[in-house]
Amino acid sequence: MTDRILIVEDDAEIAAAVTREVEALGCASVHRDTLESGIAEAAAGDYRVIVLDRMLPGGDGVEGMARIRAGGSRALILILSALGRAANRVEGLEKGADDYLPKPFEAEELRARLRALLRRGTMQVLDNDLMAFGELEIRLKARTVHVRRAHVAVSPKEFELLIYFARNAGQVVTRMQLLENVWNLHFDPGTNVVDVHVGRLRRKLEEAGSQAIQTARGEGYIFAPLPPAGV
Amino acid sequence: MPPAAPSGRPADERPIRARVTLRLAAIMAAGAALLSLLAMGLQYRLVDLRMTEAQRTLLAADLDGLAALYEQRRIIALREAINYRSATSGGEEMFLLLDRRGEVLAGTLPSWPEGLDAQGQGFTVDPAREILVNGQPWLMVARELPGGFPLLVGRSLAPVDQTLAALRHGMLGLLVAIALAAAGVGWLAARQVMGRIGRLNDLADRVAAGDLDARLPGPRSPDEFGLLERHVHQMLDRIANLNRATHRLSDTIAHEMRTPLNRMLGRLDRIEGQEEVVREARAEMRQAIRVFDSLLDISRAEADQGIGGGLVPVDLSQVAGEMWELYEAPAEEKGLIPRAEIAPGLRVLGDRNLIAQMVANLLDNAIKYCAPGDSLTLTLFAADRHVLRVADTGPGLPEGMGEEVFERFTRAERDRARGIKGHGLGLALVRAIALRHGARLSLPRTDRGLTVEIAWPRAPA
Repeated sequence: MTDRILIVEDDAEIAAAVTREVEALGCASVHRDTLESGIAEAAAGDYRVIVLDRMLPGGDGVEGMARIRAGGSRALILILSALGRAANRVEGLEKGADDYLPKPFEAEELRARLRALLRRGTMQVLDNDLMAFGELEIRLKARTVHVRRAHVAVSPKEFELLIYFARNAGQVVTRMQLLENVWNLHFDPGTNVVDVHVGRLRRKLEEAGSQAIQTARGEGYIFAPLPPAGV
Repeated sequence: MPPAAPSGRPADERPIRARVTLRLAAIMAAGAALLSLLAMGLQYRLVDLRMTEAQRTLLAADLDGLAALYEQRRIIALREAINYRSATSGGEEMFLLLDRRGEVLAGTLPSWPEGLDAQGQGFTVDPAREILVNGQPWLMVARELPGGFPLLVGRSLAPVDQTLAALRHGMLGLLVAIALAAAGVGWLAARQVMGRIGRLNDLADRVAAGDLDARLPGPRSPDEFGLLERHVHQMLDRIANLNRATHRLSDTIAHEMRTPLNRMLGRLDRIEGQEEVVREARAEMRQAIRVFDSLLDISRAEADQGIGGGLVPVDLSQVAGEMWELYEAPAEEKGLIPRAEIAPGLRVLGDRNLIAQMVANLLDNAIKYCAPGDSLTLTLFAADRHVLRVADTGPGLPEGMGEEVFERFTRAERDRARGIKGHGLGLALVRAIALRHGARLSLPRTDRGLTVEIAWPRAPA
């Protein structure tokens, strides 16, 4: 069954752009352009993800989240809003949004976030201590990394970074996602501090013989520890 | 001097209110006491005069009687009358008649009092004198009758003195009672007035603590206090409206700018074959948004300055540590010598996100301007305030530039010349965030490089 994504957005052109990304992910999309109709639709349909604008006819999407939840929807909510300052983002996340993407957004960024949300919905709770990707092994409890059975020394933050990559293996992960999820920061630090940290982790893995982290075309990185099958 | 944090209100307001109340009570008591003292003084004087006058009238009557007897039978009649009166006197009258040689002929006294000279010959009451005889006050008339007979007639003033003494006692008691009553009334009145002023002060405190919608409950009374409360409410309404309008405006600006940018970005994605141009256009847009966000963040932090609302206990040590972790690696990559000394567990009232952004701006700034080999140090320690210090050994500020680096859009000429990019908003945001937290920002003098110091008020335990 195809996953359904609800888009609540009053700007037709942006709604069309979001719809394109949703369909590119192979999901079915439904578009509503007011807060009221969006809340009603969220309760009526079985949605995996809701892309919710803030300054909508009828009110603020962030204030509408409680009503969406109260309506019985178990969808994950991605706020997509022009209110994009750090304070706005923190407010949205604190009020229960699962992710918050400021406008203007880049197509890759939206795609990466939608994928992460769709994955989050299906991810099994693993009590497995070991995450193994071919030659790369991560032990969660011991907080160790091995490549070809050789120990790779990483800093605590590099370990968290690797875990985040591993949880989103095979998907593009953007710098903004890394800052938000690994460092819990919601502002744009300007210079690409994230690149330095990813670069260090990447070099350590490469020295041990793993090409797991690759730069993705555009805005981020991809953790692809296994060579694509059949190539 | 660094831009000072908004000075706090006096820590203890209740003693001040108590002092005003006491002062008013004391003034009331003193005023009432003074007025009643004046009134009672006048009354006292009047009683004194009237009673003395009455004794004088009695004395005049005595003299008239004696004069009538003298008319008939001279000294003999006087002597008889005086003997008779002395025998029946109740002690309030005094008579004395001497002969030519100074022997007592009749009277209530054994001898002529010393220091009293006879004045005139007639039986008129004037001139009369007040003298003390055996410690008692008397109103006396001393005469020498024709033929050398000294005559003394007097009336005791002791009853007058006793009455006046009783009056004085009564007045003193009354005075104390009036002063106490006035003090009590003054205290009650002042307490009521201060109570109503206190209500307004409490309201101001609540507003200052961030509750801009706080209002006094109940109807306004139809007096000056009601008017004052109404005026304060009107001002608060106006401030709240302005505040709301400001927030609405920044939201509207964000919406109206970012939505079209969003469409532009969407169209850029559809351009093919000119990837370099598209990449640059995207970077420009991102940069424009960052400048714009910084300006809004600065305005917001400045608007919220001095309002305690929205600030929660934050572990400053932890935030500083996290930001150091983020920026230490880039500093090393650039060839700087980074070092951090962060005292653990220092807490402030703040907004974690703003504090993180501030530390990030300071570290980012230092890394941007320093050259390989320079050192970059982050220090956090507890003094009477929590002091966060970012010090580098880079080029420092240009000659003649000081606090104005914290102004918006201030950039050094040499940076433009060297091609270092920026808009001069990083440090302006640092200052706005410091002021938002009531922290003091300063640029201590150093031999080399730039040191920025931020002194945070400690979080209440």
